[in-house]
This record gives sequence, structure tokens and C-alpha cells, in this order.
Amino acid sequence: MGSGEFLLEVRTEEIPARMLPPATQELASRLFEELMARRLPPASVLSTFTPRRLVLVLTGLSAREPDRDEELLGPPVKAAFRPDGSPSPAAEGFARRCGVEVGALRRRETEKGEYLAATRHLPGRPVAEVLAELLPRLLTGLAWAKTMRWGEGTGPWVRPVHGIVALLDGAVVPFSLFDVAAGDTTVGHATLSPEPFRVGGWESYRRELAARGVVVEVAERRERLLAGMRERAAAAGGELVTDEPLLDKLAAICEIPGVLEGAFDPRFLALPREVLTASLRDHQSALTVEREGALLPLFLTVMDRPDDPVGRVRAGNEWVVAARLADAEFFARKDAETPLAGRTERLRSLAFHERLGSYAAKSERLERLAGRLAELLGWTEERPAALAAARLLKTDLTTEMVKELTDLQGVVGGIYAREQGHPGAVWQAIYDQYRPASPEEAIPRGRAGRLVGLADRLDTLVGFFGLGLVPTGSRDPFGLRRAAQGVVRILLEGEIPLAIQPLLPEAVALYGDLLPAAAAGRMETLTTFFAERIRHQLALAGHAYDEIEAGLAAGWASLPDLRRRVAALQAGREQPGFLAVVLAAKRIANITRGTAAAPLRADRLAPGVESELGRASEELAAGLDADLAAGDYGRSLQRISRLADLLERFFVEVLVMDPDPEIRANRLALLRGLGEQLARVAVLTEMVVEKGESRSA
Amino acid sequence: MRSFQELILALSRFWADAGCVLQQPLDLEVGAGTMAPDTFLRVLGPEPWRVAYVQPSRRPADGRYGDNPFRLHKHYQFQVILKPAPADVQQLYVRSLEAMGIDLAVHDLRFEEDNWEAPTLGAWGVGWQVMLDGMEITQFTYFQQAGGIDLAPISCEITYGLERITMFLGLERSIYDIRWVPGGPTYRQVRHQEEVEASRYAFEVADIALLQQQFEGWEREARRCLEAALVLPAYECALKCSHLFNLLDARGAVSVTERVGLMKRVRDLAVACAAEYLASRERLGFPLLAAGEVHDGER
Repeated sequence: MGSGEFLLEVRTEEIPARMLPPATQELASRLFEELMARRLPPASVLSTFTPRRLVLVLTGLSAREPDRDEELLGPPVKAAFRPDGSPSPAAEGFARRCGVEVGALRRRETEKGEYLAATRHLPGRPVAEVLAELLPRLLTGLAWAKTMRWGEGTGPWVRPVHGIVALLDGAVVPFSLFDVAAGDTTVGHATLSPEPFRVGGWESYRRELAARGVVVEVAERRERLLAGMRERAAAAGGELVTDEPLLDKLAAICEIPGVLEGAFDPRFLALPREVLTASLRDHQSALTVEREGALLPLFLTVMDRPDDPVGRVRAGNEWVVAARLADAEFFARKDAETPLAGRTERLRSLAFHERLGSYAAKSERLERLAGRLAELLGWTEERPAALAAARLLKTDLTTEMVKELTDLQGVVGGIYAREQGHPGAVWQAIYDQYRPASPEEAIPRGRAGRLVGLADRLDTLVGFFGLGLVPTGSRDPFGLRRAAQGVVRILLEGEIPLAIQPLLPEAVALYGDLLPAAAAGRMETLTTFFAERIRHQLALAGHAYDEIEAGLAAGWASLPDLRRRVAALQAGREQPGFLAVVLAAKRIANITRGTAAAPLRADRLAPGVESELGRASEELAAGLDADLAAGDYGRSLQRISRLADLLERFFVEVLVMDPDPEIRANRLALLRGLGEQLARVAVLTEMVVEKGESRSA
Repeated sequence: MRSFQELILALSRFWADAGCVLQQPLDLEVGAGTMAPDTFLRVLGPEPWRVAYVQPSRRPADGRYGDNPFRLHKHYQFQVILKPAPADVQQLYVRSLEAMGIDLAVHDLRFEEDNWEAPTLGAWGVGWQVMLDGMEITQFTYFQQAGGIDLAPISCEITYGLERITMFLGLERSIYDIRWVPGGPTYRQVRHQEEVEASRYAFEVADIALLQQQFEGWEREARRCLEAALVLPAYECALKCSHLFNLLDARGAVSVTERVGLMKRVRDLAVACAAEYLASRERLGFPLLAAGEVHDGER
């Protein structure tokens, strides 16, 4: 008996760094699920990778699946016996297939009647057999972002497969993938140790690779790179400027985590820091080193080898970096010849989208839209800066620097605007226009930046949705989800009470003839899209699904206000009586659904609980008016919760559906009016009340 | 290996030994070796094919009047097509580096994702940029589609940027400083005047109206050739259109809206030629299939 260790290595040509982590995780979790379904739980699952290997290690596997009994259903009992009680051919046939006498068959009651049944004993298969069956299917089924074919048309898969190690306690698990058979042999580093060698299991595999300098676990490569880089930075009297996504990438593009240090001419430190950092990062996958907040003329990156014996790797990298930085310097000088203000004309020949016109047209729309937003918000002081920023906003797209370092669009414009003497509010608005580009990034720092950031995204969303180019599933080529998310975050985090929906037709109109007549009708889809992003953003902030729905259903003309209402629900649902009112609200909705609206005649309400509720409803309306005006949603919900007892008494003592149509209509009017009041802060009927939850309240 | 021509000689020898037809450059203006019929058309259909050639590649918009140390209006590519791509094509490529005198015991070689797409050819592929000590020295691509047609077998395209490699091996500061001939003329001496004049022509002098007329004319001619089932002349007409488009673009004579339209017209021609080429080879009975396996060279 072995220890139940399974080692899998799939050796391929270099797989793109971005695809490796999701693929190895998917492989591990799918195999784990399949094994659990066969009652073969592994004690541990480890998955890792190098650019040329997918690696999976399972431990503690049983030798075979547990045996199990399977019930087979035969013919219905009605058809199983002749009138004389002897078995029919159907029954005999079934018994024969099960390998037993008819007398040994059982009867099983089902929904369709009584059937003959037999139990078949299924011995569990050896785990090697299970793995050999599962792996080809799981491996070929991995969801790669992009696949290819090779050779005579083999594939599709991410890259050509060259070798497989599949060892269960040292014995080969026989299967093949794209005609490559599993074995016990692998190779070392592609150019430094390509000779094949055999392995016995995970320990020897790891050890043998380590002896060749290959660190098979990506986490360990990352740690070593980070430690090595910190050491180099410290030795130079500085500190590494860490860049987590870049470190992830570096660990994923090497098998041997060698740290390469290089230097550049200190004159390049005169470049804006953002430009220097981006050039090193984007072109050379290199990190920077700083001392007291200033960069040192050093860079650190990876080399897929342990050392640099003749200094050639360093010399090569330094040569490329020098050329790149000289380029950046040249671009900065060339760009300075034409200030941003002189570049607006060039935007005419730069297409925003082939069907949505040029960036010049976009800039004109932005200016008007940003102005309109400032007007709606009463931000008169910030309006001029926003308009100035809107005019220059996209001009950096015509600069050589942005053509070279596209990730720096906006930032480059901001830096140039600062250098060209534009006021702080203007250059910052340009600099921040794409913020937040990620969940970690903050929203634009000033009001002018928020105005142009909102205007730009709204314009983009309206344009693409107007053309019917709506994101589907994972396909979002124009980054519309991120744009909408940006709008939602700026409004929420900037505490900006701006109603999105009424703006959409205005934004459509600004496009003029560029958008088809059908565009206006498509704004409903965009509204739904926004609601979806709002849900997402509030859920991220930890709000419960039903609280978000209840809040949204009561309207979202102001997102900061929506958030306060949703937050109030979180606290409100804990109050005594609140959930009872929710249940009452649902009851009210059910009773009044489909009935005709009629005015309430308060003088006709019967004395007692009915009149009491009538008064309470009036008081609630007045109270809510005051609360909502003050934005005190906590107090609103307290007010609502206090109706619990009264509502309960009402439903116990009063028959709403009175046979007298006039009485009935008046009671319905009472309830409808109350129901409307209950939905003012949040539509309470959207709240989910768990069994028992209301009682504890 | 320190000179331009030694690099060409070494790669020619290596790939000839690997069984390639050592082709000579296409005698038309093209933007890349991929556009030559020996690549774009030959990768279609079932016939095996191995070819290697130097292709002078013209990109008028990249001209810099001979001033920029890295950019040229015309550069030289060494282009290799292996169809079908053999299983050991990566190792074969690594050996070609050794043949160029690159000792991998002291260099860092990495294959980084870089997928290739040429919308005007209806073509795309999957592959890498090959990085040597942090410098991109080769484009390595498994072609998946050409002229909008799915490919099988799959061709591997290996494209070496000759100037950059020579420059990098010598750690030269400018393309113009590299030696064309060992101990003989430099790249500047051989080509500088051409770069200056070609840049002036493309940016300042080219007759826009004439180029536009020619584009229309060659497009019509391509269609006529296709109607006459003359696919290779048709494709040459299409290549002329492609180059005329590049010239017009460099001259600043293509507006945003025109751009999309002109590119589509070139693409339509390329796609039509691809389909017609495949049909023409089928009519001929795919002669290279009948010739049996392409020979693997003397390696």
C-alpha cells in the first residue's frame, strides 16, 4: 500500500502568464469535485505551475473507490406476472439481465406504480483507473482565454503539449493527451538543462528540478524574487518600490527565479516619475528603487537563469532600457513643442469609435455634458475648471508619449498640463480622468475631475449602448462595465446626489446624427445596466441582497441617499416590530394587488382599530415627510416599526374583504395608502424574512 | 556574429539545412515577410511547405529621415515558414540562435505571449515574442487563420528582425552604426541616403491624387485577374493596393472615415485571393502533397 500520492505534470510550450493561475486552480478544483463525487477525497491538493508546466499533487487518496449498490428498475409489477402468477417474459428477461432468479427480485413502489427491482453490487474501481479516465477530459476541458491548434491541426488547447508525468505512488497512470502518453520522465530548464530524467513522486520531482535550478512552485519563486530584489535595493541604499501585479507576472514567466539588476543614466531621472516607472514596467517588466521618495537610477527584473556569468544579460537589459528611456525623453521633448491647447484640432483625425465619430466630437460633447452636470449640482465655482479640463481632456491621445505608453493616458495629459501652467484643478482633473481604473484606486481628487470623469463615462456608455453594443457575458471589449462602475463609485464616494436616468436622453441628444433613432429606446437597457452595477457596488460594501433590492425599488435618483437608506435597513431590521411590519406590507401588497385605486374616505372608517390605523397612516405620512427631508432614515424605520402591533390587531379584528363593496373599497384604499407610505424609504416587500426571524423581533 | 550579412548567411545556411526552399525576396513593396505569397498563400490548404527568405519590408509611416537610431522606413526581415510546424520547432529555433553565434549558456532566453493579428489579411496567429536578455529578437507565431480561412495543417512562422539582432549583439547605439560587411561598409553607408529620400517622398512629395488613382486602378485590375482565375497576379495587385494605402496614410491623406473603408477594400481583395488560391491548388490536385513529405534537411 502506498500513501496515495498522485503527481501530475503537463509539460507544454510557454503558456501566457495571465492564463496560468486560473487554469491550475480550475484543474485542481474540478478534479477535487470529481473525486469527491466518487467518494475519493484526497487529504491535500496542491496546484502550481511554471511557464512550461502545469503541476498538481494530491495526497491521501484511497486505493480504490468504495463499493456501492445500485438499484435497477425492471418492468411494472402489472406486466411482470401472468394471471396464473407465473412470471412474464419481461420479468424473466429483467431477472436474466440482473443475473438472479425472478424469485429474488424485489418490489419497489414508485410514483408511477409498483415495479420489479434488483440490486446490483458495483465494486469500486482502482483510483488509477478513475484518474486515467478523468484527466484527459478535465485537461482538454480547461477554459483558456485563447486557444490554438498545432501540427496537423491538433488541439484546440493553450499551447502544444510535449510531455506528461502522471504517477500514483510511483506507478504511471496510463492516459494520453493529444497523443502524448503519460510517463515518469520530465526535463529540466529549456536551454540550461533540457536532458530528460525520471522521477518517482512529488519529492523526487521537486528535488531533481531544484538540483537544476528550477523552482517548481510559483509562490516560492515569487518569494525568492521579492527577497532578492529587496536585498539588491537595500545594497544600493534604497528600497524596492513593490508592484504586486508585476511580481506575479515575473514569477509566472520564469522557471529559475534569477534577479537581474541594471542601471540607467541618471539624466533619465529628469523624466516624470510616472513615465519612468511605466516605461520600465511596460517595456522591460522591471521594478524601480527609491530613496527618500526619489527614484534611484536602478531597475530590477527577472532572468530565467541563476546568474549572469559574463554580464551579458545585464548589458543587454541595460541597452534596451537605455534605448527605451531615450525614446521617452525624445517623446517628452517632441510633445512639448505642441502644447495640449494646440492639439485639439488633431483630435479630428482620431476616431473614438468608427461609428461614434472623432475624439474632437467627443471633446465637444464632454464640455457640454460636464457643464450641464455642474449646473445640475450647483457647482458653479468648479464649472470653469471642468470646462477647461474637458477641452483638453483627450488631447494627450495625440502625444507620442501616450502612443508609446498607452496605460499612461490621462496621467501624461495631466503632467503636461501642469508643466504648461494650467491651474491645479485643471491639470488634476485631466490627470485623474480614468480614476478609478481598479477597485483599489481612489476616485478623482477634485470636483472638476469628478465632473469630467462622470461626463466622459456617461458619454461613452450612452454612445455604445445607443449603438446596441452591449456587453454580454464575459465579452466587454469597450470596458463598459468598468465605466459604469466608475460612475457609480464617483457618485457614491464623492457623495454626489446626481440622478443618472434623466441625464441619459440629454447625453443621447448630444451625439446628434451619430446615433440612430433607436438609441433613445436603448437607454432602458443602460438604466438596467447601471442598476446592476449599483447592486454590485453595494454588495461589495457588505449590504445584504434584499436590503439593496428594497432600497433600489424605492428609487435611486441619488446614490448617496440610496446608500443611506440601505444602511438604515441593515440596522432597522434588528428593531422590534420591523420584520412584522415587513410581513404586513407583503400582506397589504397581496390584498390590494389588482384592485382598483379609490380615494380614502376617512370619515367612513369604523371606530376602533380601523380608525386608529387611518390616523396612524396620516401621522406616518407627516412623520416621514419630516424624516425624509432631514435624511433621517433610522427614525423613519423606527416610526414604521412602531406600527407592528396596530397592524397585527387590524388584520385580526378587521375583515378587509367585507361583503359591502363600499366598505371593502374604503378599507383597500386605507391599506393602499399605508402601503405607499411603507415603501417610501425602501420597498419593504422586497425584504426577505427568514422563518423565525420575525418572531425574534 | 558581428555583421549584418554574416547574420543573413548564417540563417540562410541553417534554414536551408533544415529543408527550407531558400527563396529570394519578393520583388514588390510589402510591409512584412508575411505578406509575400510564399507565406500568405502557401500556408493555406493541405500542402506541406518549408521556406526561408530575407524580405525588405517597407513601412512608410515609420520613416525618420535617417535620424532615428531605431526606426526605419525599410527594414529587413528573415522569414521562415515551416508547414506543418514540427513538434520540435522551438528547439529548432533555439539551434538557429546558436548558429548565429549566440551562446545560450550566458544569455537569458524567454518566450513571452504576443499574439499576432493582421486585419488587412484576415489573418491571426498565436505565439510569442522571443526575448533575449530583455530584447525582442524574433516573432514566433503559429498561424491559425489566413484570408479568413481556418488553417490545417498549422504553419509556424519565425520572423527575425535582422537590424535589431545585429545591433543588439554588438550593443550598438544606432542601427546606422552596425557593420553590413565585416571590416567593410556600415549600414549607414549602404542605406542612409535611401532612408532620407524615402522619408521625404512619403511625408512630403508623393502625389496624393496619383496614388489614389493607382489604388483604384490596381484594385480594379485585381478583380479582373480574379475573374480570369489568375490568382497570383491578382494577389500582386492586392499587395500594390496595400502599399499604396500605407503611402497615402504616411502622407496624411487618409481621414478617419476613409481609413476604415480603404483597409476593408484591401482586406476584401486578400480574402478573395486566399479563397481563389486554395481553389486553384485544389484544381491542380495539390501538387506538393503528391510530391510527398517535404524533406527534413540534413540535420
